[in-house]
Amino acid sequence: MTMFRLLVQQVRRDRITLPIWILGTVFLLVVAAAAISQEFDDAAGRASILRVALATPALLALRGIPNGDSLGSGVNFQSFAFLALTIGLMNTFLATRHGRGDEEKGRRELVLATPVSRRAPFIATLMLGVIANGVFGVLATVGYVATGLDAGGAILSAGALALTGLAFLGIGLLAGQLTATSRAANGVGTVAVLAAYAFRGAGDALGTPDLTRISLEPGWPSWLSVIGWGQQILPFTENRLWPLAVIGALAVVTLVVAFVVQTRRDVGASLLAERRGRAVARAGLRSPFALAWRLQWPTLVAWTAGSTLLGAVLGSLVTAISKASIDNPQIEGILASLGHTTQADVSRSLVVAITVIVGAVAGAAGVQAVLRLREEEIDGLMESVLAAPLSRYRWMLAFLVTAVVSVLVVLSVTGVAAALSFAGSGDDENAWFSLAQCLVQAPAALSFVAAAAVVVAVLPRFAVALSWVIYAAGIGIGLFGGLANFPDGVMNASPITHVPTLPTDDWVPTIVVGAIVLVVSGIALLRYRRRDLAA
Amino acid sequence: MATVVEARGLVKKFGTVHALDGLDLTISEGEVHGFLGPNGAGKSTAIRVLLGLLRRTRGDVRVLGRDPWQDAVEIHRAVAYVPGDVALWPNLSGGETIDFLTRLRGGADPALRSRLLHDFQLDPSKKGRAYSKGNRQKVALIAALARPAQLYIFDEPTSGLDPVMEEVFRREVDRVRKDGATVLLSSHILSEVERLCERVTILREGVAVESGTLASLRHLRRTTFRVSTGATLAAVSGLPGVHDARTEAEQLVFDVDADALDATLALLTQAGVSALTVSPPSLEELFLRHYGDRGSRA
Repeated sequence: MTMFRLLVQQVRRDRITLPIWILGTVFLLVVAAAAISQEFDDAAGRASILRVALATPALLALRGIPNGDSLGSGVNFQSFAFLALTIGLMNTFLATRHGRGDEEKGRRELVLATPVSRRAPFIATLMLGVIANGVFGVLATVGYVATGLDAGGAILSAGALALTGLAFLGIGLLAGQLTATSRAANGVGTVAVLAAYAFRGAGDALGTPDLTRISLEPGWPSWLSVIGWGQQILPFTENRLWPLAVIGALAVVTLVVAFVVQTRRDVGASLLAERRGRAVARAGLRSPFALAWRLQWPTLVAWTAGSTLLGAVLGSLVTAISKASIDNPQIEGILASLGHTTQADVSRSLVVAITVIVGAVAGAAGVQAVLRLREEEIDGLMESVLAAPLSRYRWMLAFLVTAVVSVLVVLSVTGVAAALSFAGSGDDENAWFSLAQCLVQAPAALSFVAAAAVVVAVLPRFAVALSWVIYAAGIGIGLFGGLANFPDGVMNASPITHVPTLPTDDWVPTIVVGAIVLVVSGIALLRYRRRDLAA
Repeated sequence: MATVVEARGLVKKFGTVHALDGLDLTISEGEVHGFLGPNGAGKSTAIRVLLGLLRRTRGDVRVLGRDPWQDAVEIHRAVAYVPGDVALWPNLSGGETIDFLTRLRGGADPALRSRLLHDFQLDPSKKGRAYSKGNRQKVALIAALARPAQLYIFDEPTSGLDPVMEEVFRREVDRVRKDGATVLLSSHILSEVERLCERVTILREGVAVESGTLASLRHLRRTTFRVSTGATLAAVSGLPGVHDARTEAEQLVFDVDADALDATLALLTQAGVSALTVSPPSLEELFLRHYGDRGSRA
C-alpha cells in the first residue's frame, strides 16, 4: 500500500515530464515511419536507396543498419538507433530525478523517516520505469502498425526500444549509487547513452556491407553497445529474439546491483566521495566571469574530452573506411539530401557528417553554460551576488562569455585532435580540412547559446526546458530533416543547415547566422535587466 | 518509566572522520529531551542513526525497543520527524506533500490538519518551489504533527520560523507531551531548549559531554550578579568562587559559583546594596563553558 502511494506520488511528479518524453519520441517514430513509407513506397526504390546507404559509412554511423528491402527495414534503419538514444536519455534522467536527486536535496530523508522500507522508493521508481517504457512500447507498436508496418516486427522493434530503456534505467540508477550529486549522476548517465550510440555508430560505419541481401555485418564496436545489440534483432525480416534476452539480462544485472548497493548504504552516501575544496579562493576569483568560469570549467572539461575522443577517432575511422569504399554516383544524391555536401569523396563526406556532430556537442556545452545562469537564479544564489555592486548586465555577460568560450574550446580542441589523427596517418589534406570544418561550426553552435540566453531573459520559468527543445529541434532538423524530406522553410529554420562545406565562396549564410547571434544576444542582455528575479 | 531511546557508545564514521565518537543517550517515555550542541557536533548524524537512515559503525542503539537499522519501518510507524533542512518536491503543492507524507504513516487526522494549517498560517496550495525556508519548514512540521506519534524528532525545528510561529510550535509540543508522547528536539538555540525541555543532552564533537535535568545542570552553574554596592571591586574579586568581576556602568558585575553564594551575599549586605539584579544561570553559559574554551585548550 505504501509502495502504491510512493508510485502514485512519483507518477504525479512526472505528470508533465514523462508524457512529453514518451509522446515526443512516439511522434518522432511515427513521422520517420510515415516519411519513409511515403517517400519510398516501392521495394525497388527502397532497395536502391538502402544500397547507397550501405556504401556510405557516414549514413551508417548516423542511422543504423538495414536488413532487406522491406518498408520496416527502411524505417528501422533510419530511426532505431536515434529512438534508442532518446528513450535511453528519458530513462537515465528518470532514474536521477527519483533517485540521487531526491537524496541530494534531502527529500528521500523525509520519506524514509516514515514507515517505508529503504527498498521502497527504489522499487517504486523501478515500477514507474516499467510503466513508462511499457506505455512507450505499446504506443510505438501501435504507431508502427498504423503506418503500415507488419505487426510482428513492430512488436519486436518497439519491445527492443522499451527493454533498452529499462537497461538505461538500471545504468542511471547505478550512476546514482556512484555519484553524490544529481548533476554528476545525470552526467554519467548521459555519457553512457551517448557512448552506446557512438560505439554502434563507429561499428556500423566499419561494418561489412552485403549489397545483395541489403544487410550489414557491423564491426566490433557495435557489439559493445546495448543499442548495437538491439539492432541485431533485424526486425521485419529475421525477427531474432536472442538480442531481447541479452538486453533484458543487462537491465536485470544493472538494476540488481544498483538495488543491492542502494539498500545497504547510508542515505546520502555515494561510492565516489566528494573531494574537498580549497580553503581559500584563488586570487583570480574576484569577477562574475571568474565565478562563471569556476562553476563551468569541470563540465567543459567533460564535454571537451568526449568531443576530442570523437575527433581523434574520426581520423582513423575515415582512413579505415576510405580504403573499403565503393564508387557510386547515387551517394552524391543522398549526401546532398543531407544538405551538407556535393562531394563524392566518401572520406570528406564522413568528415563533414561527423564535424556537424562536433558542432552539436559544442552547442550543447554552450547551452548548458548559459543555463547555469538560470540555475543560479533558481537556487537563490544569484540574489546574494546581485546584492553586491554588480550590474545584471555584467552578470549575464559573464555567463554568455563563458558559454562562447565553451563552444570555441570544444570546437578548436576537437578540430586539433582530428587534424592530428589525420596528420598521423599522413593525410595532410584532410587534417586541415577537418580542423577548418570544425571551426566553421561556430556560428551555428553559438546560435543555440543566443537562443538559450534570450529564453532565460524573457521566459525564465521555462528556460531550461525550452532551451533544450529549441536545441533538439535545430539539431534534429539539421541531421535528419533531409532524409525525412522536410519542407525548405523548416530546413532553413535550423542553423545547422547553413553551415558551409569547405572550401566555399559563399560566406553569406555564415555571416547572416553570426549577425543573428549577435543581435539575439544583445536582446537577451537588454531584456534581462528589465525583468524581476524569478524563483 | 520506559526508555524510548537508548544509545551506548554509539560510533559513526564517515571515512576517517568520527561524526559520533561514543555517544551515550537515554530518553524516557513522556519527556521532552533537548539535544544541544554547536554546528557540526553530530546532532543530525545521531538523529539519522536513530531513524535508521545511517548505519552505526559501532555501539548499541535501541529506539522504542528495536534496532533502528533492522526495524526502521516498524519504528517509523510510531515516529514523526522534521529534518533540519527541509526540501520539498518542486512541482507538488504543500498540501499534497503533507497528505503524501502523513498517508505513508496511515493518514492525517483531518480536523488536526486543518487546525494546524490555520495556526501555522500556511497556504497549502502553493507549489513546493514557491515556499520560503520558513514555509517549507511549516509544511514538514504540519506533516509531522497532523498524525499522533509516540516519538517526535525535531531537528532544529524553528530555525526558519518567526517568533509568533515559534510560539505555535511550542504549543504543539506541549500538546503532544500532554498526550504522553516523547519528544527529541535538537537545537543550538538555548532559549528554545530552556523553554521546552525537561532534560538535556549536550553534544560536542560526537560525544555527550553532559546529560541531565535542567535543574541538575543549573545547580552546577554560576549565578550572575549585577549590583550597585559599597563593596570594592578588589574585595569582591578576592572572594573564592567569584569569577570575571568587572565594573560596568558604575555597577559591579560578576559570576558566582553555587557554593560561594553565602559568602558573597554576606559581603554585599555588609557593604550595603542600592540596586541588585541576579540572573539565573542560562544554558548559554553552560554552552559557552563547554565550547567557548575550545580555542584555549586546543
